[in-house]
Amino acid sequence: MAKIRPDYETSWFGRLMHWLENGSTALDDAMTDEMDAHSRDHLVDSEHHHATQEHALEERRHAALEREQRMYSSLHQWASTKGSRLMRWVYIVASVVMCVGIIALLLNTAANLPPYGDPDNPVNNEVSAHYITQGQAETGAVNIVAGMILDYRAFDTLGESNVLFIAAVTVLVLLRLAPSRDGKPTTEMLEAEADDRLYEPKHDMILQHQANLLVPLILLFGIYVVMNGHISPGGGFSGGAIMGAGLILYLNAFGFRKTERFFTFRTFQIVSLMALAFYACSKAYSFFTGANHLPSIFSPGTPGMLFSAGLIPYLNIAVGLVVCCTMYAFYTLFRKGDM
Amino acid sequence: MEFLGIILLIFVIICAISVSLTKDLLTALVIFMSQSLAMAVIWILLESPDLGITEAAVGAGITSLLLFVTLKKIHAIDIQKASEKESRKEEAISDGENQA
Amino acid sequence: MLDIIRFVISAALTLAGLFCLLSGVVGVYKFRYALSRVHAAALLDTVGILLMLLGVIVATGFTVASLKMLVVIAFLWLTSPVAGHLIGRLEVTINDELSRDADVLDQDYVEQEKVPETTTTPADDTQEEAQ
Repeated sequence: MAKIRPDYETSWFGRLMHWLENGSTALDDAMTDEMDAHSRDHLVDSEHHHATQEHALEERRHAALEREQRMYSSLHQWASTKGSRLMRWVYIVASVVMCVGIIALLLNTAANLPPYGDPDNPVNNEVSAHYITQGQAETGAVNIVAGMILDYRAFDTLGESNVLFIAAVTVLVLLRLAPSRDGKPTTEMLEAEADDRLYEPKHDMILQHQANLLVPLILLFGIYVVMNGHISPGGGFSGGAIMGAGLILYLNAFGFRKTERFFTFRTFQIVSLMALAFYACSKAYSFFTGANHLPSIFSPGTPGMLFSAGLIPYLNIAVGLVVCCTMYAFYTLFRKGDM
Repeated sequence: MEFLGIILLIFVIICAISVSLTKDLLTALVIFMSQSLAMAVIWILLESPDLGITEAAVGAGITSLLLFVTLKKIHAIDIQKASEKESRKEEAISDGENQA
Repeated sequence: MLDIIRFVISAALTLAGLFCLLSGVVGVYKFRYALSRVHAAALLDTVGILLMLLGVIVATGFTVASLKMLVVIAFLWLTSPVAGHLIGRLEVTINDELSRDADVLDQDYVEQEKVPETTTTPADDTQEEAQ
């Protein structure tokens, strides 16, 4: 049999293999053993289980652990006194150097830019000329901006709606109080609700009459801006924000009970998910066809009519619904922690 | 029209600097809201009404509203009682007299 | 002749509206009590917008744009005074020494508006955690 190294367990390679197999170093094992022994001593009288062989092994393990602890403690001591001062100086010098470097780089870039509005600029190439001359004929949208972001570049707008959806999901994960199992509100929810409207005037008659008059008008205006995204300035994002603002006004005037009669968590889930899925199903083929634009079954139609421009009105409606639900979700999650 | 654009741009720069330098969070929020409003008018002056509508709805409306609700949730809006305000003012006046 | 009259009327209305808005701004800065500031902001804001937009309507004549401006005036007249009312009501809720700042006509309403003191505030939570 070949020679077995006597100090394998305390050598560097031995400790590395131990860490790879068990996921913890000898120091962690010693700490857990000490904590277990501590709790055991408190509960039960410890009996003697040591044989002499195990005793010798333990002595060697203890020596290795002593060395490791001394190394770590000296490192820790250095880091806490001289190391922190050194790091502060390094940090200050490095930040100043980086700031000056980046400022010099940006100023140099700004000084060497081509003159503004020059016809030889790289920006004025045939792509923008094509968008301006052929945009209305190809997409059917009178508003060229809407035609660009929802027809030529629809895939990018899918990414933007995705980002909104992810933001709403993140806020839900962080702020939502655990829903109750049996339908009755938990104490946390009741406390949050009581804390929320503490200093606010409740059931204000003037505000309620005004909201009765204004909320339908705001929602109608929001729907108008969404639907006319391809004819006049507007589109899904601004129309969705206006609709969200209308819902927030209703919530402020009438309280949570009345708003939950038509907008619950289930409504939010279904509406935003279906809208985003519709957008994704209709425009995600770009993954597979590269940059080739498939001819869509919806023809551009006559420009200026409400239902022209192919898929653009429907995509506007999808984006508007996602934005509206997201804005309302943010507001009510911040206020109450639930929807 | 260019003159109005220049005035609004200077207003936006001053608002942006003062948002960073204010100590009270509520004041910073109100200044941020007014900066967003000035930006919405600048977008109209630069002939992009899409961006103008979106900036007015989202910036001056929804973002500022959400930031107000955040301030309320972290209890950063301090409702000073009137007696505390008076005592604080008297302390400041007496300190000024002691230094002078 | 008609053009000169229209120009003079629209200029007078716009300048009057501008004067109202500027006085509102000065009032918000200079007044001492919160209720007076709310009074200045809400009232003068509303009237200033009305006069200014009327001046612009007279200048542009009778087009679709003027109808839209009338709708804007109606919307702002619906929202500005209600905002002022809500701020005033909040001031009554929060201010402890209301009789020093204003003439209180209905003391029972003021009592009813106040927030009860027995609610959990952050200070109570940290004290409970420390114990």
